Amino acid sequence: MQDNRMDLHTEPLILNMGPSHPATHGTVRFLLKMDGERILHCETEIGYLHRGFEKHCENGTWTQAFPYTDRLNYNSAIQNNVAYALAAEKLLGITDKMPDRCTAVRTIMCELARLADHYTNLGAATLELGALTAFLYFVEARELVWDLIESVCGARLTSNYVRIGGLATDLPEGFDAHVKQVFAKNRELWVEFDKLLTKNRIFLDRMRDTGAISKEDAIAYGFTGPCLRAAGVEYDVRKANPYLLYADLDFDVPVGFTGDNFDRYLIRMEEINQSIRIIEQLLTKLPKGPINVDNPAVRNPSKEAVKSVMESMIHHFKNTIEGIKIPAGEAYVPTEGSNGEVGFYLVSTGGGKPWKCRVRPPCFALTQAMGQMVQGAFLSDIIPTFDMINLIGGECDR
Amino acid sequence: MAGQYKKVNRGVTLTLWERLYIPEVLRGIMITAGHFFPNLISTAKAYITGKPEQRKIMTIYYPEELPTIPEAYRGRPVLVRGADGKEKCVACGLCEVACPPKCISLTGGMRDDGTRYPTTYTLNGAVCIFCGLCEEACPEEAIVMSHDYQNLCEYDRSLMVYDKEALLIPQEKLTRRLDYIRRRMYSKCNY
Ligand code: SF4
Ligand code: SF4
Repeated sequence: MQDNRMDLHTEPLILNMGPSHPATHGTVRFLLKMDGERILHCETEIGYLHRGFEKHCENGTWTQAFPYTDRLNYNSAIQNNVAYALAAEKLLGITDKMPDRCTAVRTIMCELARLADHYTNLGAATLELGALTAFLYFVEARELVWDLIESVCGARLTSNYVRIGGLATDLPEGFDAHVKQVFAKNRELWVEFDKLLTKNRIFLDRMRDTGAISKEDAIAYGFTGPCLRAAGVEYDVRKANPYLLYADLDFDVPVGFTGDNFDRYLIRMEEINQSIRIIEQLLTKLPKGPINVDNPAVRNPSKEAVKSVMESMIHHFKNTIEGIKIPAGEAYVPTEGSNGEVGFYLVSTGGGKPWKCRVRPPCFALTQAMGQMVQGAFLSDIIPTFDMINLIGGECDR
Repeated sequence: MAGQYKKVNRGVTLTLWERLYIPEVLRGIMITAGHFFPNLISTAKAYITGKPEQRKIMTIYYPEELPTIPEAYRGRPVLVRGADGKEKCVACGLCEVACPPKCISLTGGMRDDGTRYPTTYTLNGAVCIFCGLCEEACPEEAIVMSHDYQNLCEYDRSLMVYDKEALLIPQEKLTRRLDYIRRRMYSKCNY
């Protein structure tokens, strides 16, 4: 039979995926040029969730920015709170003066947020690949972690927990026991999730050798976090540039080989275990004492002091109305978010408001490589690749 | 610094048995059945004995059953009515400036005995982001985050604007939260 395909008038199909496609978690649009099932070209369009976060921050006092930072990566809101506070404290020059308990609690809460983020990411990824059961197991684990977070700061997502120079509240009574109970259950769920997926033939076919990126390209695109480590680069801000208590903690950082989706999956699975390990270490040696710096010009004084000491009262009013006075200068503190490096670049002119607040969102750099990672792949490979990038609209579009 | 970078085990090789597929499907079903049957049986038991805490499944039957709200929970911000039946608020206006989305507006006045009080106080519940900064700013413990989370949504936004009467709650009803903020949040021991 004669092959008459050559005579057919074919042309690439332009396919619009998004902005609210059920299988892309996050509001993003892919403009695809398809040759049959193959992707010839993928253009990523972001910005659907832009709400002017940075400008918002510049219009409020330093403290009023905290609730807005929650809405960046809402899965790990506390990490954003901490990143912002660390940058502001660097400007104030009080990084070394922070109470031990404050630093320890911040580290614990950062790792709890990382747990919640990885559970959501892996669960949602499997959901979008069609494995609803595994999703439910990790969502249960995440619910338990969010219960913990809620018992500490009063909200599951919009935590608003950290303050410049301290924390909003102390850990509740009985926190240790609650954590132990949650981790026992979460370990079981982890094992079952692992059993259902890691050796699952369908899952392996969808994940292994899809969406790969080389070491050099990953660095050139500005990758950080699990996606960079999946490509085999040994870089984790917690090890390379330790902040909080990470320098004294015993934990491993998983690194992959080829940078494909399966490596990213394995890294997140292992990081869950390491985060649990970090929290357990910290809880055994959690220092007692204050959680706020004793400096009424930085951290609002206690209510007893406001009612009884004139100076405290004045500071309380001035801090609230004019904002904390942060000396002029600029600062950036890199922190390891669950998705990659999160950092706030703050510029102060000495007033009560940030003069400039710029956030470095990890998934912005990851998303720009989407086109390269899915070039020549099948249409269905977009789903696992995009899942493992873990684009969070709130953070990417700001 | 202990701990190091460790390579993941990517070389997952499937044995012939695992590649046969059917046994793997059965293994998967075993895992899910391990969740399904205990959940089913314990739910049935709880239904018969009338003890919902026996259920192994983590979901609850809202609104017949209500979740336990942790002490730290931040619900709808409310004004505290003191033991004498008067507002504790002294209309200092700190909550108004501390509120990031600017959803509070108030006007102050003076009682006959010379104490200050808010003549009007409006909190727009449709704009409030439940951040708790008003509670932190208030020097009088007059506005607190209650544990109120039900029926806050309306079909009409104008119904979500609370006036002073809708906001004032007697302090006996808020003891759990007031205790908590005195003990864990704004107390001397935290400084
Ligand atoms: S909780 Fe936050 S948003 Fe709501 S009234 Fe208080 S300060 Fe304003
Ligand atoms: S801060 Fe407290 S006392 Fe001052 S106006 Fe607001 S509720 Fe009233």
